[in-house]
Amino acid sequence: MKTVTVFLGLCLVFVFVWERVDVVRIGYQIERLKRDKTVLERQRDELRVKFSTLSASDRIAKLATEKLGMSLPQQGQIIVVQSRPSGVPPSGIALVELKVARNDLPSGRF
Amino acid sequence: MAGSLSRGRRYVLLLLLLCGFGVVLFRLVTLQVLQAAELSVKADRQHQKTVSLEGARGTIVDRHGKVLAMNVEVPSVFGVPNTVESPLKTARQLSPILHVRTDELERKLRQDRRFVWLARKLDPEQGRRLDRLSLDGIGVVMEGRRFYPKGPLLAHVLGFSGMDGEGLEGIEHRYEPYLHGEKRMMVLQRDALGHTVFPKGMTERSPTPGHSLRLTIDEVIQYIVERELEDAVGSARAKSGTMIVLDPKTGAVLAMAVSPRFDPNAVSALSPDRWRNRALTDAYEPGSTMKAMMAAAAIEERVVRPNTMVFGEHGRMTVANTVIHDHERLGWISFAQVIQKSSNIGAAKTGMALGEHRLYRYLQAFGFGQRTEIDLPGEGVGLVRDPKDWGRRSVASISIGQEIGVTPLQMVSAVAAIANNGVLMKPYVVSEIRDADNHILRQVPPQTRRRVISPETARSVTKILEGVVTDGTGTNAAIPGFRVAGKTGTAQKIDPRTGTYSASRFVASFTGYAPADNPQLAMIVVIDEPQGDTRGGAVAAPVFSRVGEQVLSYLGVPSNAPITLAMASRKS
Repeated sequence: MKTVTVFLGLCLVFVFVWERVDVVRIGYQIERLKRDKTVLERQRDELRVKFSTLSASDRIAKLATEKLGMSLPQQGQIIVVQSRPSGVPPSGIALVELKVARNDLPSGRF
Repeated sequence: MAGSLSRGRRYVLLLLLLCGFGVVLFRLVTLQVLQAAELSVKADRQHQKTVSLEGARGTIVDRHGKVLAMNVEVPSVFGVPNTVESPLKTARQLSPILHVRTDELERKLRQDRRFVWLARKLDPEQGRRLDRLSLDGIGVVMEGRRFYPKGPLLAHVLGFSGMDGEGLEGIEHRYEPYLHGEKRMMVLQRDALGHTVFPKGMTERSPTPGHSLRLTIDEVIQYIVERELEDAVGSARAKSGTMIVLDPKTGAVLAMAVSPRFDPNAVSALSPDRWRNRALTDAYEPGSTMKAMMAAAAIEERVVRPNTMVFGEHGRMTVANTVIHDHERLGWISFAQVIQKSSNIGAAKTGMALGEHRLYRYLQAFGFGQRTEIDLPGEGVGLVRDPKDWGRRSVASISIGQEIGVTPLQMVSAVAAIANNGVLMKPYVVSEIRDADNHILRQVPPQTRRRVISPETARSVTKILEGVVTDGTGTNAAIPGFRVAGKTGTAQKIDPRTGTYSASRFVASFTGYAPADNPQLAMIVVIDEPQGDTRGGAVAAPVFSRVGEQVLSYLGVPSNAPITLAMASRKS
């Protein structure tokens, strides 16, 4: 009986010590994961800012005009035409009247 | 004998053991009972670390979710002077990384203090280089730094935040209670080597980040507006410029720009004058753009109709011993032509027929002399005096946009009311507030302020204002393929030295909306002190046209005019 009691007592002590050690080990693990999370979040935020900086209209327009030789459309060159699937009656804004002309333009120009 | 000696020794040994245990017991009682509270505090001090943590400041995005302002954690460097062995050597190593002079760093490291900032909110790369150095007495902590990735874009509206993360100007200031992250103290457990193990209470949560704001602003429209405004201010060699684009049906601000611009990422070297949002703080005498509101009031009160004939006095009329001039010698013209040709005499006569009380009532109804209550700080009220303070010429003067001060925002709101069938809307820039988990906390619906004029009057005024663009002073505001309604304004500025109107300093403006038959945009362009041709129709109207064409195209608003498509065939 005595032996069993001592054995159980030792088991309890062992479980207690094991639990404390495990808590500390998991504590370190949590901290490491937290640090990893923080680093990843920081990287994500840096990338978001970088993406936003690189996609700024100002920068894209500059690249388009200076590097790619593009230019802004002149007045009257932008025409938005409302398209309508065939058979669907018009509603809301009046549809535009399209007059199509055919011109021959020199090669390379449109 | 031996047995008794042995017994005696045993007693001595027992006594010694008892004494030993007694000492240990006494010490235990002293430590665990008598000094328990004091020692517990000491132990906590060694094992625990209390840190002040602050949640990241909320992000600001445009109406399509594009980031306009956000926080990123960056390194800040501090020194512990009494642990630095050689301040000069350390300063020499730090100087090229921190871009701070060696003597300045050395001076800081020689101070008799326990903590000193050496440089704050550096670039992440600088932090990595510092980590590699691993200097004694030098530490790095991460702090939130505000980034404005679009640079100067929308700077006057966004404002900026200070070194400690508090909003100082613009939206950053107005929405500070929502944007700032939660501040909380957290107790961390440390092991024998000083490493953090975990928070004292496992239920402790990290501080909550600030809320995010979604604006009504469209980044692309804002870019178009800023580019065209900068060009116009530059080519007119003007002092400054302002432009606002509203959705007249809701009051949502799609763009708000001030020229010259500034970069909110680097404001320390700039004077407050550069970051003032003139679109809503500065009042100016609007000049002829006020005739649009005067016309609306006169038609609503049935003082005139668009075809009522008005005599132009051949370009010269005396009112209260002063002379009002027109730039043309006009005879009999219709009231619609009064507005289209921007006749001062015709407008003054109509205003006088309307009378001071009705004129004042409509000025108030259109929102002049009061804040629009836009959700931005620093809005001015303008200047509308009480009729009892008006002089004999005041009614005539106010009818042509003198003796009255308005902000560009007030003026475009009033014009937007005409575009919106006579209903004045409250302008706003923040449409949505979301928490850190992306849940919507608040959605801002469009708010009606009041009906100012009837829909019939609004249609009549629109037709008159369309005439300004097709046949009047605002032909440069025309947008190919769209019907445009608007009004030009060229106002003399008051010379602060003489107190009289200057002959050389003007404010040129144009305000209107498009498409006139189904307004999607209400806009105002104000150019302060242009050089050369100073007329609103020459300086501001072209900006309206260029911006209007690009923005309507961007929004996919179809042209309502017959168009001819040229189909090209390539010669090969």
